[in-house]
Amino acid sequence: MRSVFEPAMNFWASLTLLMLTLAAVGISFLAWLWPHGDYARRMNWAPAQPVPFSHQHHVSGLGIDCRYCHASVEVSSNAGMPPTFTCMTCHSQIWTNAALLEPVRDSMKDDRPLAWRRVADVPDYVYFNHSIHIAKGVGCSSCHGDVASMALTYKAKSLTMQFCLDCHRDPGPRLRPKDRIYDTRWTRDATTPAPELLLAAYGVPQRNLTDCSICHR
Amino acid sequence: MPQVKPQWRSLAELAQDAQFLSRAEQEFPGLGVALTAPRDRREALTLMTAALALAGAGLGGCNGAPEGHLIPAVQQPPGVVPGVPDYYSSAHIDGGYAEGTVIKHFMGRPIKVEGNPFHPASLGATSPMAQAELLNFYDPRRSWGVTRAKLPRSRPALEQALADQRARLASTRGAGFVILTGASTSPTLAAQLEALRKSYPLIRWLHWEPIERENVKNAFALAYGARLAFLPLIQNADVILAIDSDLLSAAPGHLSFARDFAARRNPTRAKMNRLYAIEATPSLTGAAADERFIAGPRETHKILLALASALLGAPPAEGPPWLDRIVADLKANRGRCFIHLGPDHSPEAHALVLAMNEALGGRGAVYALVDEPTHFSSDDALSLATLVADMRAGRVNSLLIIDSNPVYAAPGALDFAEALSQVEFSLCLSATPSETSEASLWAVPMIHLWEGWSDARAFDGTASVMQPQALPLYQGVGPHDLLGLLLGPDAPKARDLVRQTWKDQLGAADAWTDALAVGVIPGAASSISNRPLSGAAARVRLPEPPKARIVLLFRPDPYLHDGRYADNPWLQELPRPLTRMSWGNPLQISPRRARELSLEHGDVVRIAIDGAHTTTPIIVAPGQSDDCIVALLGFGRRHAGPVGRNVGVDFFKLAGRSCAAPDIQKTGAKEELASAQHHAAIFDEWGVYARNGTLAQFHSDPDFVRRGDEPRPALYDWKPEGPAAWGMSIDLNACIGCGACVVACQAENNIPVVGKAEVLREREMQWLRIDRYYDGPPETPKTSFQPVLCMHCEEAPCEPVCPVGATMHDSEGLNVMVYNRCVGTRFCSNNCPYKVRRFNYFDFSGEERRAIESRNPEVTVRARGVMEKCTFCLQRIAAARIIADRDGEKAATVTTACEAACPTRAFTFGDLAAKGSEVAARRAGPLSYALLANQNTKPRVTYEARILNVDETKETGK
Repeated sequence: MRSVFEPAMNFWASLTLLMLTLAAVGISFLAWLWPHGDYARRMNWAPAQPVPFSHQHHVSGLGIDCRYCHASVEVSSNAGMPPTFTCMTCHSQIWTNAALLEPVRDSMKDDRPLAWRRVADVPDYVYFNHSIHIAKGVGCSSCHGDVASMALTYKAKSLTMQFCLDCHRDPGPRLRPKDRIYDTRWTRDATTPAPELLLAAYGVPQRNLTDCSICHR
Repeated sequence: MPQVKPQWRSLAELAQDAQFLSRAEQEFPGLGVALTAPRDRREALTLMTAALALAGAGLGGCNGAPEGHLIPAVQQPPGVVPGVPDYYSSAHIDGGYAEGTVIKHFMGRPIKVEGNPFHPASLGATSPMAQAELLNFYDPRRSWGVTRAKLPRSRPALEQALADQRARLASTRGAGFVILTGASTSPTLAAQLEALRKSYPLIRWLHWEPIERENVKNAFALAYGARLAFLPLIQNADVILAIDSDLLSAAPGHLSFARDFAARRNPTRAKMNRLYAIEATPSLTGAAADERFIAGPRETHKILLALASALLGAPPAEGPPWLDRIVADLKANRGRCFIHLGPDHSPEAHALVLAMNEALGGRGAVYALVDEPTHFSSDDALSLATLVADMRAGRVNSLLIIDSNPVYAAPGALDFAEALSQVEFSLCLSATPSETSEASLWAVPMIHLWEGWSDARAFDGTASVMQPQALPLYQGVGPHDLLGLLLGPDAPKARDLVRQTWKDQLGAADAWTDALAVGVIPGAASSISNRPLSGAAARVRLPEPPKARIVLLFRPDPYLHDGRYADNPWLQELPRPLTRMSWGNPLQISPRRARELSLEHGDVVRIAIDGAHTTTPIIVAPGQSDDCIVALLGFGRRHAGPVGRNVGVDFFKLAGRSCAAPDIQKTGAKEELASAQHHAAIFDEWGVYARNGTLAQFHSDPDFVRRGDEPRPALYDWKPEGPAAWGMSIDLNACIGCGACVVACQAENNIPVVGKAEVLREREMQWLRIDRYYDGPPETPKTSFQPVLCMHCEEAPCEPVCPVGATMHDSEGLNVMVYNRCVGTRFCSNNCPYKVRRFNYFDFSGEERRAIESRNPEVTVRARGVMEKCTFCLQRIAAARIIADRDGEKAATVTTACEAACPTRAFTFGDLAAKGSEVAARRAGPLSYALLANQNTKPRVTYEARILNVDETKETGK
């Protein structure tokens, strides 16, 4: 009787098994790789906001300080988002009829807050405190990137635990002088004091910054 | 510390009951049953699918950063900084008396109650009920919307109905109109009632509390001919005799009494006072006493007569043999001692005790008399009984019930509900749907105390203005607004009324805001009275004691009080200090009576008295008099929210009847009682956990409590090297077992409640528990309390067994729990000798019927399958160290939630490495010992052993 499968089928069967194995390994690898990618981390991508606010225009162009809008960054865990009133301090005088600013005027008129989409976020079990980082010489751009040159705000750093630990393990090189905290274009140069000097001046090394209890509660 | 007899937690343990032993040996009792139960194929498939779905959900979690929104205000409220908590003063009202509190807000949301250190009734501490007020405020089952005959009505319809009542009041001059409220100390409310009487002279009002203190108040009329209150100055007292007393647990001002009492309990820091307690049923005061004597109602009657004879020269009467010793001690400490009598005794007995106190010469030194701060009913003849009689006789046309629940809490013999149905116009103002709002014609939602303006006085007359903490969540009506509507259609706002009341003291704008900020109105305390004792007080005749051999005594539940907190899950699940019961109120019977009736823990009985009856489980209460059976009130609510409805048994319906002996019949049924008395039981070779001794022992050998605790070498000697070394010392001399710390911890750390079924499986989640131990025979045991929380061991047994490193040590000595690493093996809990770890068997937090806004945003809400335990209030440590580092301060001061709430300052938390730290000093003291020292875990929590000031030279004939 003639067999159902010819001898050549052995080859195809083996190949199929091999391909399936490879596919399984490959898919697992991709699944592992996926969260490490910029896409999954939503990096370098500006979500649509109720108003296409440009930090580039307001900070670089007009020279408004970060703290004009993010007013509680030096005193609170929360940097603070500007209430509609802050926007309207200027926009009740200039660009009063701009169609782009319709949502801001509506917010004021209807007493309904603007809902901005989050760009930078850490999970709820991470208790990040802005004020201590500012006080210890960590600049805005260390975590938020060069916001002053962003036409639309996007997430420039991964903000993963690895990212946090990179700095918490060795904070010295990331610290900057007090007067450069809000300068988002700052980079280390020859005039920057040595990391050890900054660490000592800010009094950073007294704690073990990699303790779980520093960030998690 | 070798001691002859081991301590015991329950009668089953004392009897070495086999079932108890096998259960106590297991780390996860109940789990074995669950695992060995037969499971069919269908259920197995369901479980597999569920597991698969969970795995899928887990993978979904890897999908990048969570998306969210940032929503700033349109206009930032002044003073509110996002992420920084604000504090506003308020007060908790207990039986009308204010207990100052400070409410912590986060972005405008109240999230935690703290005590007000400037308020004399709080001194920074809180009661469990004040802590739990948070859940009452956010209760999703609060009343909303006005109803008439259970049908919705509009607000204008209510106003019209009140306008009709105004017209009627004007035509009848107030006749037939009665206002029923709870006890009140609010000067504004009093002024409103007086204003009503001015307009309508025949209007009447009754201040009525189900758990009343009328006997105490009325005694002053007998003894002094005036409305006065007894103000003990406990810090000056060397000897206190407490008879059926609630001095440390419920008397107005009990938090400050407990503080003063505890300040003189530790012989290493102060000269000890001595407390004798004589009582029928175990109480916190009795447990705190140096010597406790048991006396039933008839024996107490004899004791009072004997005391009167010894101290007042009354005709000779014979008391028990041990009484002579107490009398001798009182006489030896003339001017430095006083007697305190509980509120259940007759006014005559109180008058007699007031006369004895005068005779003991302590007035001015160890106690003072001040004006009674509560407002009185419109006329002395009006009581609930006369009101009900009037209602039945048709002499009451309109009844306004404000924040009171007489349909549930009036003595059953009065049948208030039936009388209420005879009243033409009844209106009930209540914050939650209640039996009374259900039975009234009009039911009007009341604002929560935190939603309106009011004022109240403390036990010593100190007044506070209470400001709203939030806008009304459910559009309620305030009591002041309602009374205002009876006076005229344009009632002034409550705030204006309160300002009007205090215009003399707080006229200036600064004075007003200062009083609000501090929470106390300066100079508004009662003045001390110099009124002399009337001669008749020493000669009053005590009413005859009950004739029956066994008497049914009614006591308020320590946490639900008269049932008003029945809907509060924190208080329902908080183990009662002595029985360790939650979610129920079994009848308390003494061990001997239980034996006589062949009753055991959990047996259901039918109790009948004077024609009324109910069925209830029983619990055997060590240390209770054989002559009484104790029923706790406040349970068995019929119309309450889902938390409190039909939990336990309503004993109010047996109340108000004759003093005949109750008839108890065993039904043969059994009920499982959610008593935590041997949950999380710990064991060591000596069997003594809450170590104690006598003052004489301490004087002869100050180190006696830790003899035998020799330091042993560690396998791996690890030293944390952080800038701080956090530690805690708990003074067992101070702990009175009140439970405030447990609720404070629950509120601070977002700890879920689990419900009765899970408590029965020993799965309660409270991070802090107060173990209660007995020494001695079950009839007359000595009681000790011991708060147990995570010991933050330096050599922590939980850490090496965790396969995923989810529990770690940090450099400041904290044993931290990393929830996101935890995979739920529970090895850590198994290896913990102190049994302080809690496992989320279910999504307890997610299933809680609780507003998300009420949670502490500074603390992670734990998911299902995760282990958790005390963190030493890590969020408070982190906040303090960030502020210290940021603002360049030297050392951060941290107060944990339990420490802040504790009325007796039993907890001391701090940095062991800091110079001059109090916790380090306490740890070094001679009474300091480590729990289960033989485990060599080097705990960061240590205890100071309890010393009893027993007069051993004379201890005979007991």
